[in-house]
Amino acid sequence: MKADVQYSKDMFEKASHEDRNADKIRRPSIKYWPDVWRRLKQNKLAMTGLIIIILMIIMSVVGTHINGFDYKQQDYSLINIHPNSVHWFGTDELGRDLFTRTWYGARYSLIIGLLAAAIDFLIGVLYGGIAGMASRNVDAVMMRIAEVIYSIPYLLVVILLSVVFSTSGAGTSMFVLILAMSLTGWVPMAILVRGQVLQLKESEYSLAAESLGATKGWILRKHIIPNTLGPILVNVTLTIPRAIFAEATLSFLGLGLQPPKSSLGNLANDGLAGLPVGNGYQILIPAIFISLIMFAFNVLGDGLRDALDPRLRK
Amino acid sequence: MEKVLEVKDLAVSFKTFFGEVEAVRKISFDVGKKETVAIVGESGCGKSVTANSIMQLLPMPPAFYKGGQILFNGEDIVTKTEKEMQKIRGNKISMVFQDPMTSLNPTMRIGKQIVEGLIKHQHLSREEAQKKAIEMLELVAVPQPEKRAKQFPHEFSGGMRQRVMIALAMVSNPQLLIADEPTTALDVTVQAQILELMKALQDKLDMSIILITHDLGIVADMSDKVIVMYAGQILEQGLTDEIFKNPKHPYTRKLLASVPRLDMDRNESLHSIEGTPPDLYIPPKGCSFYDRCDKAMKICKDNMPEAENFSKTHYSCCWLNHPMAKDVAEGREA
Amino acid sequence: MVQPIISARNIKKHFDVSGGILKAVDGISFDIYPGETLGLVGESGCGKSTAGRTIIRLYEPTEGELYFNGKNIYELPRHEMQEVRRDFQMIFQDPYASLNPRMTVEEIVAEPLDIHKVYRNQKEKHEKVIELLELVGLNEEHANRFPHEFSGGQRQRVGIARALALNPKFIVCDEPISALDVSIQAQVVNLLEDLQKRLGLTYLFIAHDLSMVRYISDRVGVMYLGHMMELAKSEELYDNPIHPYTKALLSSIPIPDPEIQRSRKRIMLEGDVPSPINPKECCRFVERCPYAVGRCHETTPEFREITEGHSVACHRADEIVAGTAKPTK
Repeated sequence: MKADVQYSKDMFEKASHEDRNADKIRRPSIKYWPDVWRRLKQNKLAMTGLIIIILMIIMSVVGTHINGFDYKQQDYSLINIHPNSVHWFGTDELGRDLFTRTWYGARYSLIIGLLAAAIDFLIGVLYGGIAGMASRNVDAVMMRIAEVIYSIPYLLVVILLSVVFSTSGAGTSMFVLILAMSLTGWVPMAILVRGQVLQLKESEYSLAAESLGATKGWILRKHIIPNTLGPILVNVTLTIPRAIFAEATLSFLGLGLQPPKSSLGNLANDGLAGLPVGNGYQILIPAIFISLIMFAFNVLGDGLRDALDPRLRK
Repeated sequence: MEKVLEVKDLAVSFKTFFGEVEAVRKISFDVGKKETVAIVGESGCGKSVTANSIMQLLPMPPAFYKGGQILFNGEDIVTKTEKEMQKIRGNKISMVFQDPMTSLNPTMRIGKQIVEGLIKHQHLSREEAQKKAIEMLELVAVPQPEKRAKQFPHEFSGGMRQRVMIALAMVSNPQLLIADEPTTALDVTVQAQILELMKALQDKLDMSIILITHDLGIVADMSDKVIVMYAGQILEQGLTDEIFKNPKHPYTRKLLASVPRLDMDRNESLHSIEGTPPDLYIPPKGCSFYDRCDKAMKICKDNMPEAENFSKTHYSCCWLNHPMAKDVAEGREA
Repeated sequence: MVQPIISARNIKKHFDVSGGILKAVDGISFDIYPGETLGLVGESGCGKSTAGRTIIRLYEPTEGELYFNGKNIYELPRHEMQEVRRDFQMIFQDPYASLNPRMTVEEIVAEPLDIHKVYRNQKEKHEKVIELLELVGLNEEHANRFPHEFSGGQRQRVGIARALALNPKFIVCDEPISALDVSIQAQVVNLLEDLQKRLGLTYLFIAHDLSMVRYISDRVGVMYLGHMMELAKSEELYDNPIHPYTKALLSSIPIPDPEIQRSRKRIMLEGDVPSPINPKECCRFVERCPYAVGRCHETTPEFREITEGHSVACHRADEIVAGTAKPTK
């Protein structure tokens, strides 16, 4: 012991009980979602994706009003003009301004993509949740049904539905399009949710709730679903680009929206004709934007997955 | 006694999102030849970090050696490169972990895993290694070793797997074996077998052991020397008999009093220690046991106590050792 | 004559697994008296955890009856079982897994109150939650935090608070301290004992730490591969064990005293605990028993009272008590 340091006698009196705080928690509280957000922010690529998405959404709302042209205004004196200072993205074969039409198309692409993903989410969570909580036999039947549905190519479904709900003119109505895509698209989400439910059903806190007298529904609602929101969110974020691309493909094949409504896919289809005659910009521009949206969502989804992974916490 | 390992003022910290967490705060101890040193402490006290830092097994970053030396046969491990460490790990110093399932390759047959180790560390030919592998399985009392060597880890029970882990650790006749909670996951009858095995191997191979555990019974059974760790520091250190017969630090005393013994009177109450160990994200300025110590004095809060020797081998770090603390130490509060 | 609060008769729980039938619990019977703690010990695979969960009907039994205050709870319809659940609670082993990581402490402790709709008034519910937290040594400042912010011992205390919310009569403690540090184990055990005295609780204390079980239990049962091998008053079991397994078990436990350890003679069991899948009809301990003879391989011994209050399942129990049994291995 240091002999040279003098301590006063009262220092050696007992400390009071209140002075000692045996159960003190020193660390600041970390809540779940704020922590996920913090981790996501560290991922530059994911943040780039997020910014692109936000910009896309904003532009799809206001972009059509920026340069004063109307999306369906045709001007035969201005056909097939390459991008210049007046028509920033050029014009198409009917003289319509492509800048305005691009944002108009983006609007539809995004709406359809988001709606389809939302329906997939709702049906998927419901179906997967029920299958996961149900008895083994019921679950087996439900899964076989889902697999059969999933094996039907959505292209076929679209064609069938568009014939059933046929309207005048080429193309399909938005309602039918979304219906067709979601009719089979919900299955991956259901499988994911079911898997999560099966796993979390065995968790100790679910068991604890059961011992307290909770019903299966209670456990599903209060314990299981909140703990699956992470992977579900990732899946939704990755479903959106799939839906957007699916719609773009359909539109590109002529099965998409009917004019004058058009999505980016329709634009690409329209622009195809311009390719051999040197008006490549007509297809290039919508293609770039489709790719950009998909890239952004994919990158955000990946980032979310990493941010949610408890093992990667730094 | 010849010293195999000398740890001097070792400090290891982790860089985290919250800031620096000081997991090990200036500890010093020695391990002699054929000696068993037990490091006792609760979770978060730093004993596993200490063990891993001797083998340089901590991921760096976020961990880093803040200070001190780890002298193994006179050479400082802290300054060694990864390449140099590979010659030491599994060779001169071996480690046995708590959960053998995660340390064994589930897709490789047991015999093969031992053979690979033998080829690498003892430079045997494949034929010699295969023979030796069977011998090693016999050494650790795995029945029907030829048959077992062809099996995969999941075909073994927990106790058997731990024996295999020990066999793998013995492959190079290490000077030092670090056993981190080697029997915590095992049943008590199997634990008894494994401890006997370790003692027998130590005897046969002149090996030193660092045993990390929270089980005071195992400590009493196996160790020559005991180190009591708390919140990254050594609170008390001494020979096993000294620590159990004459514990000086309030924490050691309370720890011994909180363990139910088969031979105690059931009506005696179990002394518990209120509260929980401190978070090392903001390590306490003074004695780390202050918040939970029922003999705490005002001086303990902000002043770090120094070591006081009771014998050549026994010391504790506590303000109660100070001459001015006599009243409180003997129970006569002011 | 005091009536037991719990009477288990021939409880069996079998699982269908890929290799056949896993007989986790294969016919155990015992009584638990009000206010007492019955300890249940055994090594991994003995079925004690399964037994605990089957007793409160968290698992549906394969066979057997469980009488609670005279009624066989296995025969109760769902809504009546809900009511009974308020009297039966469970404390789980893993304090890191038995609390939903996304719920605050307050929500966790209040959950049983919510499920059974005990309080209509939010304020009253909140006050009850704080009362429960204080009962276990926590306080209001902990209520809004999440489980991961607490230590194991604190989380376990939250689990105990939750179990007490509905004023249960009987609590199954399933290895409540195994995952905790030594000094914290004492804390939790002292808390459980204190609560037992204050609230008149009855416990089934399942653990593999024999020293701790001896300390907290009034009577102790030893299980092996789904069977009850021995049951006696705590002191009696530890001072005069009859079953060879119990003897071996007790001698394997290291005592924290170097002198005693050095001089102890240990009964070493060979090999590992065999598998509970498709067991043969014989004494389950026969493979490792140092006293095994012919009949031990052929028939399952009856679990019967050998001396007062002390029951054993062993063909050679009388010989062992008399001191005339010679080991065969």
